[in-house]
Amino acid sequence: MSISHEDFGESLRRIVISGRLDVPGTDRVASKLVELAAAPKKGVVVDLTSVKFLASIGIRALIAGAKVVQQRGGKMVLVVDDSSTVIMSLEATGVNELIPVFRNAADAERAALA
Amino acid sequence: MPKGQHSPDRQVATKHNALSQFDELTIGASGAEVRRASEWLEAACRQRNVPPALVEQLALCLNEALANVFTHGGGLALAMPIRLLLEVRLDPDCGKASVTVSDAGTAFNPLSIPQREPPRSLDEASPGGLGLVMIRRCADWLDYRHQDGRNHFTFGACWKPR
Repeated sequence: MSISHEDFGESLRRIVISGRLDVPGTDRVASKLVELAAAPKKGVVVDLTSVKFLASIGIRALIAGAKVVQQRGGKMVLVVDDSSTVIMSLEATGVNELIPVFRNAADAERAALA
Repeated sequence: MPKGQHSPDRQVATKHNALSQFDELTIGASGAEVRRASEWLEAACRQRNVPPALVEQLALCLNEALANVFTHGGGLALAMPIRLLLEVRLDPDCGKASVTVSDAGTAFNPLSIPQREPPRSLDEASPGGLGLVMIRRCADWLDYRHQDGRNHFTFGACWKPR
């Protein structure tokens, strides 16, 4: 389980998470995700293309991050691998209706900055 | 059965003459044990030729069911072993795989919780209750009984054999 980030200028931050966002995996990255999302960037892209499993505890962490970004007037979006089960988890809980989901990074970055 | 022992070879003929295959695992209440339970489920389902997409659905349900036990089951749920039973059954017209999670915690019937409407905005989104939403969406059927001082929660999914 790992979490890292990269900034693109003053406006955009990309957060990359890999591994399993199950109970033990989310415990390791949840507070870091919120901390990284709190940076004063207009757009935040959370890249989940290397996440193999997304449980509800992981979705809660994503919602917490998205709320932090929204509260300071920014926008958080997700990038997922279409072939993974991550999209199934997002759709099952309806969270894909709350946090925009994209299949490629370029679309996600455009949306985060729009 | 001692904690952690894996029993892969039970086979029981049911009244419908189909053959049910069972795997059992006993775990403790910790995040590491959730990971071990997921690995056990995925390996056992692979061995029983359960389709991968179904395995993923069951693995999600298992993760959520265990998280609920840890969060809401109280001290006994955390102190006593949690038993997992996988049943895979192949009838001529359909395959079925189900997992029963048995814990000694506070009696709690997840089926008694009303289905909730999905939140319409991030502001409305609350942190709790997503696990049960996910279980209801990923499982084809659910069952609950409280017997011998334990909760027995079952979720299952079915597929059409090729």
